[in-house]
Amino acid sequence: MKPDSIGSYLPDPSSLTSSPPWLEVRDLSKQFGGVYALKEVSLKLRRGAVHGLVGANGAGKSTVIRCLAGVVQQDAGEIVIEGQRVEIPDPHKASDLGLAFIHQEVSLVPEFSVLRNMAMGIPPVTHFGIIDWGPTRRRAELVHDRLGMNFSLNARTEELSTAEQWLVLIGRALMRDAVMIAMDEPTASLSAVEAERVHAIVRDLRDQGVAVVYVSHRLDEVMDLCDDITVFRDGEMVLSTTRDQITKPDLVRAIVGGDVEHIEKHIAQTEGRVVLDVRSISDKNLLRNISLQVHEGEVLGLAGLVGAGRTELAQIIYGDARPTSGEIYLDGVKTKFRSAADGAEAGIGLVPEERRSQGVFLERSIGFNVTISSLRDSVWWRWLPLLKPRHSNLRALKSTQEVGVNTKDMKMLIGSLSGGNQQKVVIARWITQKPKLLILDEPSRGVDVGARAEIHRVIRELADQGTAVIAISSDSEELVDLCDRVVVMNEGKITDELTGPRITLENIVSMSFHRREDH
Amino acid sequence: MTTEKVSPKLGEGKKTRSRYASMPRSKVALILLSKYGTLTAMALMLLIFAIAVPNGYFFNWDNLLNIVEQSSLTAIIASGLTIVLVVGEFDLSIGYVASLAGVLVTGLVEKQHLPLFLAIVATLAVGLGIGSINGIVVTKARVNAVVATLGVGTIVVGLSYGYTAGSPIVQVPDSFLQLALGKTFGLANPIWLMVIVLFLLWMVLNRTPLGQRIQAVGGNLHAARLAGIRTDRTKIITFMIAGLMAAITGVMLASLLGSGTVSAADSYLMDSFAAVFLGSATLRDGEFHIVGTLIGVLIVNVGFNGLSQLGTPVFWQYIFKGGILVAAVALSTIARRYAKT
Repeated sequence: MKPDSIGSYLPDPSSLTSSPPWLEVRDLSKQFGGVYALKEVSLKLRRGAVHGLVGANGAGKSTVIRCLAGVVQQDAGEIVIEGQRVEIPDPHKASDLGLAFIHQEVSLVPEFSVLRNMAMGIPPVTHFGIIDWGPTRRRAELVHDRLGMNFSLNARTEELSTAEQWLVLIGRALMRDAVMIAMDEPTASLSAVEAERVHAIVRDLRDQGVAVVYVSHRLDEVMDLCDDITVFRDGEMVLSTTRDQITKPDLVRAIVGGDVEHIEKHIAQTEGRVVLDVRSISDKNLLRNISLQVHEGEVLGLAGLVGAGRTELAQIIYGDARPTSGEIYLDGVKTKFRSAADGAEAGIGLVPEERRSQGVFLERSIGFNVTISSLRDSVWWRWLPLLKPRHSNLRALKSTQEVGVNTKDMKMLIGSLSGGNQQKVVIARWITQKPKLLILDEPSRGVDVGARAEIHRVIRELADQGTAVIAISSDSEELVDLCDRVVVMNEGKITDELTGPRITLENIVSMSFHRREDH
Repeated sequence: MTTEKVSPKLGEGKKTRSRYASMPRSKVALILLSKYGTLTAMALMLLIFAIAVPNGYFFNWDNLLNIVEQSSLTAIIASGLTIVLVVGEFDLSIGYVASLAGVLVTGLVEKQHLPLFLAIVATLAVGLGIGSINGIVVTKARVNAVVATLGVGTIVVGLSYGYTAGSPIVQVPDSFLQLALGKTFGLANPIWLMVIVLFLLWMVLNRTPLGQRIQAVGGNLHAARLAGIRTDRTKIITFMIAGLMAAITGVMLASLLGSGTVSAADSYLMDSFAAVFLGSATLRDGEFHIVGTLIGVLIVNVGFNGLSQLGTPVFWQYIFKGGILVAAVALSTIARRYAKT
């Protein structure tokens, strides 16, 4: 795909391709605790090109970026900008050199206006200590036009959508004359439309001569968007190529270091006993008359855009939020949950959407994270509730091995595991208890290809043992792979229910945007 | 990809190499300073006082045991505070609760003529009750813990004045005095009590589901809630533990002083905070823990004892106490910050 026609003031793309790299990373190495996080990695970043970094979690992508950002210092190797060797001791220096970094967690002040967020970190023009917003505003207006922002500079940032907020961050980078912008999974939590918008902006930036570094787990997106692609595995560069010279299967093989076994499409399990029966649930803000059933051994997908109400519905089923009307039956018994603890006690498990802030206890051990929801199973006696450390350790070990966590040291801090393994630990927490119903909110967000396949296998196994599963995902491909039945939501309502051969990418995506006529 | 079923075996985890290996020296030095600095400081203080105090009055068995005895009440109240801090909250009412417990236990015996045992039970129940009020205000009414416990603590001061009409209760039976002054198997009772209470609290925190939940709630409130933990209940229980420990300390102090005085135990608040923060930087990375708290209390009292043996004016003791509190919090913060990177 060639870039669309571009203005004459822009550099000719062909000259860019032949031009020397703007930034070069040479033989960069970095060790953490004696383990190589990076080993002799070299990269060439060109202006006017998108450079995709892919690889499993913990493969080294983010370490390269953190070295460039001045957050960590490399042990060996050098960074060269326009032929000059540079040292980047701190983030401030990185910014001065024209390097900008946009992280997964959006770092904006929600109460500030767009303008103030964009101007953050730039020394303001002052007269006698009073800020003169004039020059800053004029500069911001230029950036505003350049990015085609369709919202006002005076808008409060919290009122913007996730994609728009992301645009504000890009704006902040351009305010500082960034030549290179590194983006860490910008589309991970975006809906398809929003992601498309992000892609358009990335292409624009490229056409304007920015060197874009693009980290993503979505391989389709990488194949579509990136000019150069570098694959990392275990801290080493295993492949560096241009897009024309590689296919998606090659890419997957390079990332995993072998072939990924695809789980076979399952024969729909929609016949069993009804485990969960949701009857016309509404809530204060969003949900209107939601009814659905989940059967024993069935994996039900919840599709829809971000903000369609899927997470809200999950919270209500789990007991973490309360509906304003409607009823929920679990195993035929009407539930009266007043808190998430009630849901957990009744035999429901939840793997939350935000792993770091809602899922794991980062400063605790793997064992702690697994057993925290089932402590009662490891006590001496109910009336003298002393824990049996060995027993709980064994239980943790057994369930983490079941989900394929790659360590046996249950005392290890969970924070030292990769994102995919952390997610597996959260799943292991519920597996030990054989829940009646397990709800997984974005089970493979920010998780590499291998871990994702393994998580799907675990979900399938659990369903085969009779657990009813609800999987919420913004990644429609994941739902096609995983689910027996898919319910599509839009703006708090159910728009469609897909079964069997109707579960296709096209149907999910089109129904996510479709608004069913009220009847 | 077929995953091998590995037979689970304990102790097979590969030992990871020291995490200090890849850090710059200055950073390692800071971490070591904060982790072992408190212990080193204690050793240094012991050494200095042993040399500086004439005639070996400081460094002898009796005086060291004396220090432990002086530490025991602070250790009890401070370990209650430790639990509240582990859950991620704050309790500024403990000193006042201890004072109230002192006047209450003596008053119930003297004014209401309750048997001593009943008076003690009633007082401890009041401690639990005030703790649960703290907890309910913090969790259900969602008042910031600093403000809530300061408010409740001030109410408690009012109750103390109301109950005593301002004058101390000095008529106490001998059996009550024996609580704190007596000895069992050659060791002062407060030391025994401290050992038992600290052991029990250590067990609760580290070996019971409740303790794990307390740590989970303190570690990540949202994740704890979604993991099915009753977070409000857990927090309320920690405040009740703190209230109970304050009441125990107050009763023992009244016994030690032979009277119930309205503000006798107020200063335990400051002492506890100094000790707990000092302790959080000891051996662990800025995490609050019972053993650390005990060490923190001992350090503060070694300093106090030594300074007074040297005949240092009283104002120096305040400067020492305040200084140690600030230094302790700084050390604990440093330890926590570097533990994360």
